[in-house]
Amino acid sequence: MRSLSIAATGMEAQQRNVEVVSNNLANMNTTAYMRRRTEFQDLLYQNLRRAGSTSSDAGTIVPSGVQIGLGVKLAAVYRIHEQGNLTATDNTFDLAIQGKGFFQVQMPNGDTAYTRDGTFQLNAQGQIVTHDGYLLQPNLTVPSNAVDVSINASGEVLAKIEGQVALQNVGQIQTANFANEPGLQAIGSNLYLETPASGNATIGTPASSGYGSILQGFLETSNVNAVEEISNLISAQRAYEMNSKVIQTSDDMMGTLTSLR
Amino acid sequence: MIALSSQSVLRRKLDTIANNIANMNTTGFKSEKMMFVEHLERNQSDNGFRGERKLSFVRDVATYNDFSEGAFQKTGNALDLALHGDGYFTIRTAAGERYTRNGSFTIDNGGQLVTNQGDPVLAEGGQPIFFSPQDAHITIATDGSVSTENGPLGKLALASFANPRMLKREPGQMFSATQPPTPATQARVEQGMLEQSNVQPIVEMTRMIQVQRAYESVNKMISREDDRIRKMIQDMANQQVA
Repeated sequence: MRSLSIAATGMEAQQRNVEVVSNNLANMNTTAYMRRRTEFQDLLYQNLRRAGSTSSDAGTIVPSGVQIGLGVKLAAVYRIHEQGNLTATDNTFDLAIQGKGFFQVQMPNGDTAYTRDGTFQLNAQGQIVTHDGYLLQPNLTVPSNAVDVSINASGEVLAKIEGQVALQNVGQIQTANFANEPGLQAIGSNLYLETPASGNATIGTPASSGYGSILQGFLETSNVNAVEEISNLISAQRAYEMNSKVIQTSDDMMGTLTSLR
Repeated sequence: MIALSSQSVLRRKLDTIANNIANMNTTGFKSEKMMFVEHLERNQSDNGFRGERKLSFVRDVATYNDFSEGAFQKTGNALDLALHGDGYFTIRTAAGERYTRNGSFTIDNGGQLVTNQGDPVLAEGGQPIFFSPQDAHITIATDGSVSTENGPLGKLALASFANPRMLKREPGQMFSATQPPTPATQARVEQGMLEQSNVQPIVEMTRMIQVQRAYESVNKMISREDDRIRKMIQDMANQQVA
């Protein structure tokens, strides 16, 4: 009974589908979360009767043979890097990127991770860090006597020092672009790592050609669309049920066989 | 024997139904149907005295593809393409050129437009399409021409076949062809959409019930025939004794 194992592949695939949807829904309110989508693929086909084989002495050719598919598999779970909405938080170190680009974060082990989650803060030394305390790259230190910090669209960090009229340029935030953003490896905490699939990071100045601009006091929300996810959930559940019906039918058919005698 | 031939065919029919249902949510999947023929065999013991009596067996002669269009789903991903009307994207795989309606494409590390299995999608002229990391906005027009804010990059090769029945199924919602395709003029490319599987679950479910019932009735017939032959042998034996 091939149909048993075919339906089993179907159930397994739909279960993965539900897992991905539930992860999207769980991260509905995660800053800069990119929704994932499952892509399925049909499996190999068995040729029980080859198309193009001859069916008579006169050399008649079978136009389309008997090809039986063996089920379905998960082809990819890929992230959709669509811009999320921007919400105003009015927090000095909340930054959103409008357009392409990732902030560079220095991991404790020296690696560089990439993120679009711009909820930054200052640590005890006045350096700009993520909420996990990882340093933003290039490292920027805000002087302790600064009363206010403004960050403009091209990523220049300007500090207002008490008693000075001119703003002091503290440094420049640089963002990274990738040829293939869905190829980045997610490591949790909204961080991504470069992989051979993503291509190398190309570092640039925000708001220059091909790089998104930085908005201070805004955050990018997740791009999960609840309505879409719920409808995906329903279709995954129904598909799961139908595949289980196929298993039941195969079982019943085997049952009639054994009842033969 | 006749009943058996029909049973094995029914099982294969269930296999195709199972495969269709398993691929209910597979992008660009085309469902598969089956054709049966009567397979006539001359009865060996017949000497043509009372005219030729033939036995009729069942044989599955072909599976064919249902190429009707699936529903369109909006995904919001710039590299998700759906095709409206008759046409196929052309993909270069290791095994040769393949044709597919599954337009969930992505970009690899070389900036090349590829399927999610990493096979390049071909433009007209048989060349793949390359994007540079500076390209932020990718626009694909309804005729398949690809452009970014930095200029046009080429036009997707859309294939059409005089006889789509000749297409052979390959894994990954792809088809291979024995004849070269002609350029598709009727196809319209929709960006940010995907064509869903065209499997109709309700139809598949009812077909499955039919298969199951037919299978059971054939089973009944086999066991009745078995009883009949047993009874006949018993009667003969009894007569011998008498």
